[in-house]
Amino acid sequence: MNSNKPVVPGAVITVFVDGQPVQARRGQTLAAALLALGHSVLRRTRHSGKPRGLFCAMGICYDCVVTVNGETGVRACMKRVEDGMQVISPAQFKRYEPRK
Amino acid sequence: MTVELDTDIAVVGAGPAGLAAALAAAGAGARVTVLDEYPEPGGQFYKQLSSEFSVPERARLDDDYTKGDELLAAVRDAGVTLSPETLVWGSFEPGTLSVMQGHAAGTVRARSIIVASGAYERVVAFPGWDLPGVMTPGGVQTLVKNQQVAPRGRIVLGGSGPFLLAVAKSLIAAGAKPAVIYEATRPLEWLRHAPRLWGHWDRISEALHYRRLIAAAGVPVRFGRIVVRAEGDARLERVVLMECDGEGRPIPGTEQIERVDTLCIGYGFVPSVQLARLLGCTHRYELRRGGWVPEHNEEMESSVPSVFVTGEVAGIGGAHVALAEGRLAGLGAARRLGLQVADAAMADARQERLTRRRFGDLVNDVFALKPGVYDQIGDDTLVCRCEEVTARQIREAATEWGADVNFVKGVTRCGMGYCQGRVCGGMVEELTARTVGCSREAVGAFRVRPPLKPVQVGSLADLARE
Ligand code: FES
Repeated sequence: MNSNKPVVPGAVITVFVDGQPVQARRGQTLAAALLALGHSVLRRTRHSGKPRGLFCAMGICYDCVVTVNGETGVRACMKRVEDGMQVISPAQFKRYEPRK
Repeated sequence: MTVELDTDIAVVGAGPAGLAAALAAAGAGARVTVLDEYPEPGGQFYKQLSSEFSVPERARLDDDYTKGDELLAAVRDAGVTLSPETLVWGSFEPGTLSVMQGHAAGTVRARSIIVASGAYERVVAFPGWDLPGVMTPGGVQTLVKNQQVAPRGRIVLGGSGPFLLAVAKSLIAAGAKPAVIYEATRPLEWLRHAPRLWGHWDRISEALHYRRLIAAAGVPVRFGRIVVRAEGDARLERVVLMECDGEGRPIPGTEQIERVDTLCIGYGFVPSVQLARLLGCTHRYELRRGGWVPEHNEEMESSVPSVFVTGEVAGIGGAHVALAEGRLAGLGAARRLGLQVADAAMADARQERLTRRRFGDLVNDVFALKPGVYDQIGDDTLVCRCEEVTARQIREAATEWGADVNFVKGVTRCGMGYCQGRVCGGMVEELTARTVGCSREAVGAFRVRPPLKPVQVGSLADLARE
């Protein structure tokens, strides 16, 4: 983002996606950070293993759920990034088991 | 950790309707708390930027921010308590709301509740709508406007309604110009509504401004076409479009393939009535205003005494309706508490609401959902994204179990996943009604029960212990 834009995102921080350090900006949702990094597949479905990504981006559809600092079922579009956050995208797993 | 709060009026939702209601009620002397699930107030219309972002020149932001700023400043000046990141997930006795703030559960007690929970987008399924890269217009709007991240690649807008133009405007401003907009209706079909435009000059000039801006950016708008299929390997690569007739039925032989990385598609909005239904408000089916809506009297009080409904949740109508109706509900709720509200103020608020509703209904009629768009839901099309239920399963269940959407849900598991039927509910009702050949009223709606959204079981245990 250059200073020409009317809005400047927050400071650069590091989050870990599936163990890899990547950069994000304070104030961003995890979904926006992941999209900016080019992650379009966020998880695979439980039954058929089909890829899913951001859909509603406003907390309604739960298609964007990932695991954050060990907590499963976190909506990436509602979660703000924090420095050092550990994110596991269930896309890593063939079958994703949501918390009951 | 638990949260306990006592207030005169609890407003649920910090969008235009909720904020306008809070302002009016506080102005009449009530103690008001606004509960909202998001970190920043403003709702979807006036969604605020994260406080971590900096804005060197506020004046360069568009109207929605500055109008939102003004309203929020007034709300804060009036002494309203704003409670962000507060999810209302249940209600177990009249006048109480069960809430969750982060991992802390709690209870809010209020003498009156104003439900201003807004709306979310109506999506009509088509093969491939679950591919990554297919998004709702509101989702894309949030990303570009509030998160300053543009979706990738070649962007195409589809579906219907004026909101597509608003999203196009945001994308253009962000330097992510959409390639084309496909609108399901046709200007010729709008003509019969033209006389009703008389008098709404401010809204007409607003619409023309959008139209000019999009034309100046060189984004073509193609009318009378709908997306019938999305295809790609692991993510969206292309969509198939077809021309449709006045009823929305695809016209054979008109297929057209378009390369797309991000498809942003929606057919208007659906009132977010889960809380109103949980509180026991009587609802009726009103297609023109988005589907199931809570009934209310002239002052926006629902069938449940001291529960008010206002804005999009009371029927789709847009931000101007929400502001006017919010004020009316705020005054109504204050009066219900026994506070002094001048009759003239009440009358003025009622009048303003009616004027704004008239225009809202006109827009709804112009962009009315064409029933034929449901025809693209073939038997193999996924309808419930969470539980991966296809249209065939729903049709078979409806044939076997008859006209009750809750039976269909029980048999197929559709609507039982994380989103609790918010995305598929309307479609399941429509498919059931069509299969059985009866009305939407007859098939009913998914029952709602707490928690309204998934909550951490551990946090509830804390609440029970304390
Ligand atoms: S994308 Fe729908 S809940 Fe996050």
